[in-house]
Amino acid sequence: MSKGEDASIRRLIKAKIPGKETGIEIKKGLCSICNAQCGIDVYVKDGRLIKTEGTLENPVNKGRLCVKGVSNKQYVYHRERIRSPLLRVGEKGSDRFVPISWDEALDRIALRLNEIKEESGPESVVFFTGFPKWLRPFLKRLAHNFGSPNYMSESSTCYLATVLANRLTYGCSFVPDLKNTKCILNWSSNPYYSSAPQAINFVEALERGVKIIDVGPLNTTLSRQADIHLRIRPGTSGALALGIAHVIIEEDLYDREFVSNWTYGFEEYRAYVKEYTPEVTAKITGLAPQEIIAGARLYARTKPATIVTSASVTVHHTNGVQNHRAITALIGLTGNFDRPGGNHVVPTSYYHRATGFDTREEEFEQTKNWEEMAKRIGEEEYPVWSRFIHEAQAVSLPFQIMSGKPYPVRALVGFGVNYRMWPGSDFMKKSLERLEFFVDVDLFMTDTAKFADIVLPASSSLERSELSISPSRYAIWTEPVIPPVGDSRSDVDIIIELSKRLNLNDPLLSKGHEACLDFIFEPSNIRIEEIKKHPGGLILGGFPRTPYEKYKKTGFSTPTGKMEFASVILREAGYDPLPVYREPKYSPISTPHIAAMYPLILTTGARLPMYMHSRMYRVPWTRGLRPDPMVDINPKDGEERGIKQNERVVLSTPRGSIMVKANLTEYVPPGVVNMYHGFPGADVNELIEPDYRDPISGYPGYKSLLCDIRKSNGGDL
Amino acid sequence: MMQYGFSFDISRCTGCMACVIACQDQNDSEGDNPPSFRYVIKYEKVQGTNPLIYFFSISCQHCGDAPCIMVCPVRAIKKRDEDGVVVIDRDLCIGCHSCEMACPFGAPKFQGDGRMAKCDLCYTRIEKNMKPACVRICPTGALGAGPIEELSKKKAEKASFVFLTSLVGDYHR
Repeated sequence: MSKGEDASIRRLIKAKIPGKETGIEIKKGLCSICNAQCGIDVYVKDGRLIKTEGTLENPVNKGRLCVKGVSNKQYVYHRERIRSPLLRVGEKGSDRFVPISWDEALDRIALRLNEIKEESGPESVVFFTGFPKWLRPFLKRLAHNFGSPNYMSESSTCYLATVLANRLTYGCSFVPDLKNTKCILNWSSNPYYSSAPQAINFVEALERGVKIIDVGPLNTTLSRQADIHLRIRPGTSGALALGIAHVIIEEDLYDREFVSNWTYGFEEYRAYVKEYTPEVTAKITGLAPQEIIAGARLYARTKPATIVTSASVTVHHTNGVQNHRAITALIGLTGNFDRPGGNHVVPTSYYHRATGFDTREEEFEQTKNWEEMAKRIGEEEYPVWSRFIHEAQAVSLPFQIMSGKPYPVRALVGFGVNYRMWPGSDFMKKSLERLEFFVDVDLFMTDTAKFADIVLPASSSLERSELSISPSRYAIWTEPVIPPVGDSRSDVDIIIELSKRLNLNDPLLSKGHEACLDFIFEPSNIRIEEIKKHPGGLILGGFPRTPYEKYKKTGFSTPTGKMEFASVILREAGYDPLPVYREPKYSPISTPHIAAMYPLILTTGARLPMYMHSRMYRVPWTRGLRPDPMVDINPKDGEERGIKQNERVVLSTPRGSIMVKANLTEYVPPGVVNMYHGFPGADVNELIEPDYRDPISGYPGYKSLLCDIRKSNGGDL
Repeated sequence: MMQYGFSFDISRCTGCMACVIACQDQNDSEGDNPPSFRYVIKYEKVQGTNPLIYFFSISCQHCGDAPCIMVCPVRAIKKRDEDGVVVIDRDLCIGCHSCEMACPFGAPKFQGDGRMAKCDLCYTRIEKNMKPACVRICPTGALGAGPIEELSKKKAEKASFVFLTSLVGDYHR
């Protein structure tokens, strides 16, 4: 090779150009840092990941990627990756572990779990999974085969309460039909930060001239782009929705045909929303009456119109389920239910994705009827949740561990547990210490894993296989694109191996990951073998599109067979049947005596682009973008308190205080502060009481409570 | 002479920071305080009662008459004939920071070895019909790259479309 050629190849390698001469190959992978399942082109040289890029032909992200996805190299090769099974030898939480073999680890786990089952019943063992969701059907099957009803997940605080609320009103869930709509009522979602690669739908809608009404206290890019921004006080969504309904009904803008033929409880609802005049609603929400009227008219007069909600912002309130019901009641009221450009009902399959495929997922994961097992954790406290959501309610877990009532909880088998997820996270941490046996499977040695007796190393999505079927019916089965880091294994393989060692005698699970997926998708005749033939993925053809207005044939899966403005199930369970508005448990109106000491409203957990719960804190690239725990505070509130940008401040609620840095910004309105969750050393969930919860779903009221901020005097809190 | 450059649509930038890390991933900027050749600035103001937040993503602009080239005492910086990209020969750089002082955009960065490094518009990728890493990742299409004549033509087309729609209402291209 000549000197010139040599230099030219070096230049190609430096620029990471794939090809024979550079030895760089592009392999198809899936990102599992969040649950969007974006396709990633993984640039691999000599078996190592050297760069990631979005996969162009994957319709989930069409080549785009977010700041987290492009950090996969530092995420996957992070020095805190667990490299072998570990046995704790020090105190709980001490981070003193010794490596053990997989055989020893799995045998120890199986032996201990079977002992506990023998002594106090299978229900005293809890199976929990964090994020993402791909392994869920497998873990639930394992739990039920073991005999424990206590399979639970992070969905105890995210997403499923919206499903619950929608099922109470409509008997089903639905998705916004963004492609065909003319108006988007975006309710407290920031798609540019929560799912950046998918947010192009909003950019395209704007270009098409689609009207956008943005609701929420935060001033996001979409708020700026929207025709109307209804900047409500946190926690008052329900009141605004009722106020909008008031205008729509008073001005006769509702769909009389749909309401009279397909709804139940309208007169009751109409009488209730009569109270929510624009003036009353304005007083509660902090808006001007004209803004509410303008928003209501734009949404009701533009046809078709769709409502977008986020995974959980609307339900992270102490009145969460009812607030969400008040919002989505507007869909039926305006006749936008299951119509093109409105909110489309598409059956979900395989971890909550709206694909419309028939599956046997429920049969696969729920191998025992509830009656055959003990009562689930949280079942007595949250009967409506337990009726609709086929999991235990994890927010009740620390209480039952501590009280031992109605029965003791002795062991936890967790995949990606993070005690910082729980409101009053220190209380959850204490309860972990109380457990007799705790197994945690994770990629990293987390603060939670340090409390485990045995820690098992999971491999990242790039070191194992995964199936993704997207709502656009694009399917891909990925092969490992790099060798496993250390001795890590796929979560599903760990579950299958555990099942064998627990002697659960499950022939299907023993056949492996692919055989199980074939079983799940059998009703739609989808086979992994077929999908595998297309390494770059394929669009599954030959399936009819999910039609609109299905209720005209089938009615609604509610007790009355109609959309229920007044829920029969809620009435029977002793809750308000109407989507009533109640103030957050702690607010300037409901608790003025607390507000006198804590005059600011605290809202937590709104997505930052670079973080995904707590999992990107340790990644240098993302951490570098926001290195310190920061509280967003309006410049006006900062000035009143003599607080300057980046100054250390104390953020307090009646429950406690944390030390953070001030970020003065118009992102929050005056009177409201916003804090990201889960930050090690400044965990805002410690400031929230463990029982600050919605009474129907059990969801924590993360998004509206009271606090104050003061300048730090330099030392203690 | 052909001149390539970036385009940027401020109305679409959300401050998601993907371009910043895509640049670091492409250029293996790692370690303590790794430099990024692209950064995103937030800008806030209150217009009447309306608080506005904008973001601006910026890197080397590959200037037509680049001041960094003029001030470099060892002629380490040059403009490529093929595409007008401003590049540095790091072997020649003496780390004097003259370019840093002359550059209006803060583009030159100094790495551990004391020498300058900066955005090269991923020209090798462009040669291979690939977009620069920051453009390729941009979730909203706020960033673009190409010959500047093409970029300005696109902007003009988009602007006239907006005017036309406001004058004659809905109409299809």
